[in-house]
Amino acid sequence: MPTEREFQVAPIVPESVMHNTKALSNLQSLTASIFGVAAGILGLESYSGFLFYFIFTILTTILFYTFRVAPTSLKSGLGAFDTSRYFRTQYEFWAGGVFGGLAGYILTWTLFYGLVRA
Amino acid sequence: MAQLPPQTIQRDPQLFYWILFPITVVMILTGILRHYATVLMASPPKKVEQPALKEQRSLMHGVAVRSNFHVLTAPSFKARREFLTTAFESGAYLKDPERRGQPPANPMTDPGAMDGMMGMMKNNMAMMVPNTLIMSWINTFFSGFVILKLPFPITIKFKSMLQAGVATKEMDPRWMSSISWYFLCYFGLQFVFNFLLGSDNAASQMAQQMQGMAPQAPNMFGPGVDADKQFQAEAENLAVIKHYSVLDDVEQRLLEGIKTR
Repeated sequence: MPTEREFQVAPIVPESVMHNTKALSNLQSLTASIFGVAAGILGLESYSGFLFYFIFTILTTILFYTFRVAPTSLKSGLGAFDTSRYFRTQYEFWAGGVFGGLAGYILTWTLFYGLVRA
Repeated sequence: MAQLPPQTIQRDPQLFYWILFPITVVMILTGILRHYATVLMASPPKKVEQPALKEQRSLMHGVAVRSNFHVLTAPSFKARREFLTTAFESGAYLKDPERRGQPPANPMTDPGAMDGMMGMMKNNMAMMVPNTLIMSWINTFFSGFVILKLPFPITIKFKSMLQAGVATKEMDPRWMSSISWYFLCYFGLQFVFNFLLGSDNAASQMAQQMQGMAPQAPNMFGPGVDADKQFQAEAENLAVIKHYSVLDDVEQRLLEGIKTR
């Protein structure tokens, strides 16, 4: 954990961190609703539907990491899967989207399931 | 236990065009309307009298010096500190210096305080009125229809909520009526507004409620706050700072960075 002194030497701009977080959550809410459409058309029910959502959301986050975060983050000497160069906490990066997109996922899942299957 | 065959209900396909579609469209349009209503109703920042503004800005000056002391050199910081502490302690920046030491005025009598409350009222109204209207609209026109089936099982407890207006005892709680579609839209339409209005929109009720729940930052310059006390506290904060600069040992850090490269 860096001390206060180190933060002052290499400051973190809150606006940029906010922008990063917002970009990630926008991406995740869009993909969550698209996954809902897919799950509804496939006719997934109960556990398999939620499993589908969790697997694909985590896959999205990993793709986001490999394409947007990893190239510069690894170069600057951080370990693999360390997002502290662009995001405030690890939890926010890896798990924040799972809960943010869930409501949109259930909405589109129900809608398309109702239209296609039930 | 014997597996029950899944219930199937023959539904008119017209239900989609006359219930599901209208409710969704109305929910999206209300969200957009709410966003623009909030934008239009936002009152512009009030003009502040010159002495009051001086009071606020000088206090912010003190805070800025305190939080950014590490970028100043030691003599420059010392000069600023000396100047600000004496000014703060003597009350040079106070709005009305003769009222020092008296208790602050009652916020209810201050006309400036009413403005903030009006803003809150307006926001609440913008949320409450459309919600009640849409709820009663759905209840009068669309109650008693079963329109969708949830793709996941839920317990019997939800039956009264999801199937309001459909009093059928044996029906699977997964079937939902129009009012529960309204609730799903209420919670799940955030992503639509994100792409229609940009991500910091005022359309979603959920986001507004989250804001309401978050602890409000104490209003620094609000009515009912004793400015003199704030100045004294700030002077004390400035006085206890142990100054150092970010440029201390900078040559050492530079050399270390070169060595590891």
